[in-house]
Amino acid sequence: MPVKICRSLNQLANSCLRQANIQVTRNASTLSDFDIQHKTPVVRKVIHIPKAQYGGRHTVTMLPGGGIGPELMDYVKEIFRVGGIPVDFELVQIDPKSSGNEDLEYAITSIKRNGVAIKGNIETGSLDTGIISRNVALRNELDLYVNVLSCKSYPGVIARQKDIDILIIRQNTEGEYAMLEHESVSGVVESMKIVTYDNSERVARFAFEYAKKLGRKKVTTIHKANIMKLSDGLFLETSKRIAKEYPEIEHNEMIIDNCCMQLVSNPHQFDVMIMTNLYGTIVSNVICGLVGGAGLLSGKNYGDHYAIFEPGTRNTGTSIAGKNIANPIAMINASVDMLEHLGHQTHAHILSSAVNNTVNVEKIHTPDLGGTASSMDVVQSILKHVLEATKSMKW
Amino acid sequence: MALIRKNFQQILSKILQPCAVLTSQQCNSIHTNFPVNSEYSQSVARPEGRTKCTVIPGDGVGPEMMYCVTEVFKAAGVPVDFETFFFSEVHASMSAPLDVVSGSIQRNGICLKGALATPDYSRTGELQTLNMKLRRSLDLYANVVHVKTLPGLKLRHDNIDAVIIREQTEGEYSALEHESVKGVVECLKIVTADKSERIAKFAFDYATKNGRKKVTAVHKANIMKLGDGLFLRSCQEMSKLYPKIKFESMIVDNCTMQMVSHPDQFDVMVMPNLYGNILDNLASGLVGGAGMVAGASYSPECVVFEPGARHTYSEAVGKNVANPTAMLLCGAKMLFHVNLAHYGEMIKKAIAKVLTDGKVKTKDVGGQSTTSEYTYAIINNLQTCY
Amino acid sequence: MAVQFLQKFSCTLSASRTYSTALRKATLIPGDGIGPEISAAVQKIFSAAGVPIEWEIVDVTPVRGPDGKFGIPQSAIDSVNRNKVGLKGPLMTPIGKGHRSLNLALRKEFNLYANVRPCRSIEGYPTLYENVDVVTIRENTEGEYSGIEHEIVDGVVQSIKLITEEASMRVAQFAFKFAKEQNRKKVTAVHKANIMRMSDGLFLRCCRDAAKEVPEIRFEEKYLDTVCLSMVQDPSQYDVLVMPNLYGDILSDMCAGLVGGLGLTPSGNIGTNGALFESVHGTAPDIAGKDLANPTALLLSGVMMLHYLELSSHADKIKAACLEVIKEGKHRTGDLGGTATCSKFTDEICKLDEFEGKHPHQEKEPLKGFEGGVNPVTGEIGGPIGPEPTRYGDWERKGRVSDF
Repeated sequence: MPVKICRSLNQLANSCLRQANIQVTRNASTLSDFDIQHKTPVVRKVIHIPKAQYGGRHTVTMLPGGGIGPELMDYVKEIFRVGGIPVDFELVQIDPKSSGNEDLEYAITSIKRNGVAIKGNIETGSLDTGIISRNVALRNELDLYVNVLSCKSYPGVIARQKDIDILIIRQNTEGEYAMLEHESVSGVVESMKIVTYDNSERVARFAFEYAKKLGRKKVTTIHKANIMKLSDGLFLETSKRIAKEYPEIEHNEMIIDNCCMQLVSNPHQFDVMIMTNLYGTIVSNVICGLVGGAGLLSGKNYGDHYAIFEPGTRNTGTSIAGKNIANPIAMINASVDMLEHLGHQTHAHILSSAVNNTVNVEKIHTPDLGGTASSMDVVQSILKHVLEATKSMKW
Repeated sequence: MALIRKNFQQILSKILQPCAVLTSQQCNSIHTNFPVNSEYSQSVARPEGRTKCTVIPGDGVGPEMMYCVTEVFKAAGVPVDFETFFFSEVHASMSAPLDVVSGSIQRNGICLKGALATPDYSRTGELQTLNMKLRRSLDLYANVVHVKTLPGLKLRHDNIDAVIIREQTEGEYSALEHESVKGVVECLKIVTADKSERIAKFAFDYATKNGRKKVTAVHKANIMKLGDGLFLRSCQEMSKLYPKIKFESMIVDNCTMQMVSHPDQFDVMVMPNLYGNILDNLASGLVGGAGMVAGASYSPECVVFEPGARHTYSEAVGKNVANPTAMLLCGAKMLFHVNLAHYGEMIKKAIAKVLTDGKVKTKDVGGQSTTSEYTYAIINNLQTCY
Repeated sequence: MAVQFLQKFSCTLSASRTYSTALRKATLIPGDGIGPEISAAVQKIFSAAGVPIEWEIVDVTPVRGPDGKFGIPQSAIDSVNRNKVGLKGPLMTPIGKGHRSLNLALRKEFNLYANVRPCRSIEGYPTLYENVDVVTIRENTEGEYSGIEHEIVDGVVQSIKLITEEASMRVAQFAFKFAKEQNRKKVTAVHKANIMRMSDGLFLRCCRDAAKEVPEIRFEEKYLDTVCLSMVQDPSQYDVLVMPNLYGDILSDMCAGLVGGLGLTPSGNIGTNGALFESVHGTAPDIAGKDLANPTALLLSGVMMLHYLELSSHADKIKAACLEVIKEGKHRTGDLGGTATCSKFTDEICKLDEFEGKHPHQEKEPLKGFEGGVNPVTGEIGGPIGPEPTRYGDWERKGRVSDF
């Protein structure tokens, strides 16, 4: 008799659970990237944390960082407020002067909780060899293994090259940035470059999936395998192997020095590029220069569980801080990326078209793009467009 | 109408004004807030954009309360349209179907809901109530009741500011009951790790977002070692992610005692379903009753704003005596949620003003006025505040 | 240590047994922390008031049983079993596993199905609420505290709330009987049958049936949440409340909060085989032994016990004296904002007792404590002696069954 009761109880409870599961998968077709990231059936390397989305509003960690970061973040907050964008920011300040890492650790915890962050460039206070760069630490700690930089020309910005549309996908956690350096004998410093099979595969897989999703045609692997035969060789071999699984996407390779030359002479041959860490820095800065400077492009850092959005070229811009001349477009683009990731497509669209109108149509440019407008002028123009667009919009 | 037009003009002019101010200030101070934030934080985002909101008037005095809300919204010129459904368990035949209502809420993302009467027995012998079904279908797992002493009321306690967060999809309310042998009924209480973690995280995120200092988990893990133990453990685990927020736990019976004697010690409280129901009502009683406290139920996608203590108060139907404050505060909270903070603030201030003046109060808080007198007093006190 | 002191204390007072006919025996469990002090105070007051009760003091310090687990000494259980009535001071919450609580053991032993807690505003000690006079009666053997819990799959726990007709009927009938005896007007059944339609529904049905048998007492049904809400707004609308286990646990503590905390509220557990009265406050180890504790809760529990034994005149006298001393305000203990010591407070109550109800046998009234061993008169075993291992095993076997 008790066994029977027990069994019936279990059945009841199970049916209750099943109901709950049906609820969860109800609208699988409308899932945003953010949702997908939260239910990817990967092996749990981190503890599972429920997502920070309540009543349609997301909470996002905001790390203003140093230099122009804080002012740019204020613009973003203001635009979000005026646009009624359902995102709340959890502001985490990292004191650049302190040598301790409590702030950074708190920031990492906060990102783990929220899953998503938007950040400026964080200054690392000390130049001691013992202290690692906080930006790098953040990426390593959260295992954000890939950095995506979408480089697209703005028609309204005068630049050397027009109509560029390149996607740079960069390994973000290892390679030359492993930060393993030592002086073996006096006057001889060794720096290690780490390439692992796992991470190379993850990046390559991500790149091809991403290319497939966006309907891109070609993936180019950038390397220096002729010199660094083992490390870059591994990276190259892995991407070649993965490429075979995607016959619809063309795959080729290019050596980094040649790549830089090709970029400045004939950038239109590139579509999606994948590369290791250091080459990524070089290539992304080159392309930013081609399309009009550091103030326009935004970068995305993805891991299995978290995502961080930031301006594409990671510069603090301390010299122009507080002068009302910094270009806010990069940070605003980062917030657009973030909105897309969270699944707020309408708001992302409103914001990106406001940026488009401001930069391309009305040509309100800050000095770095050759204009005379102040940062505030640009923000005001964007606000105006956002207000107009949201007028007839439902919440 | 004239009032509305006046409001609009004021609002519009205030929106356009920041431009001038900003350029003059030239943003010379970095690391400080955007100048707009401090001064014009109440400006409206979309004066012309209209928001749609699902409305379930509920049973008892619900429809009357909802009428007060519409009146006040109309007077304040709030750009919100209502999509009203008759939804009721006691009048099941006239009720709108569940999937239609939940579909509307999903579409709109927001809902304003009065209390639904739940009969002690169901004609079909069903154990789930309509409220439970709605919560399940929308996955409205977190109920938040912010209990705060409003000005102008004579109460025993005057410094209550606690947030009660309640898990409301499982626990005792799972509607799993059966009679195993005659005269012996078993009722299951289900606690799952996933949902406990989710509500714990909700509580901590809420505390972080609203600048709260402390989260108290209320439980009975000394007796229900497995069930409430799991809940408590989940909260403890989650608290490790929030080093800046103090975490403590309290046994539910002690908690009720502390609540009536020293309610000022509580900040954010998180608890399973039944305890939440108890403390919601208890705390509402401390600040003036069911007519004074607003609450909200959150799912990841949508929010349902409903009174914090859900009573239909059916004996007052048609008598024009019920207190609409809770419903109005729900409406104000809803406006804050959809970025119409300006209107929300306006309504909140009007309520506070009427209560502080103390001339017009409904009977439940020691006044003499009727519902409509009170509503008109609030409407008369609506001021655009910049 | 404390028990030894107590023993001496009572020995000095002991005299020949003169009122054996009217004398009732009751077990006294002094408890830990401030327990011995307040127990001594209660003994003193009772003797001053001439209450015909002979105390049998037992020690319940856990002892190691034959199976290596710690438990209550069998002698304590036997004592309460014999006397059918007991008074218990606060006990330290045992730390460590494999230890069965005294409450649990006693609750099982006597089938203590109802917990009664009268909460009454005490004049002269103002709290935020006045005129509170509520009695909570709580079903004590089943409900949410049935102790049946299991993890179905990883991360999913199910606990069972058990409601039986038998237990519900029993507690409902007791509530009405209690209301009638104490001249109460109304019984309110507290439930949540709109959510838990079957289980709370069954409880509610039993209350309705019981109400029909006692038509002179008014009966009403209220939702748990409604009671919480209106209790803190206006407690005077409630009289006797009867409810299942968990609700009772929560509401009884809440009502205690209304009148100033657990230091002033007595509590009684009524069973089919006996009754145990206790103070529900903590052991307050920080003030233990300093003569600062307030014995009111235990004293009022003792008063409840006298009522239970139908010694109502004594009960009323002691209660009046105690409330009078508090009201007067000169000799309050520290927790009520006064400066008096526990013994001073006790003396004051004794004085009033003596003055009001001068008992002819006052001075001679024995306060009987056993000298630790065999009672010379009855040959019974009592007092703080060790366990009897042979019988302990028997208890152990019974103790295996779950919570109720």
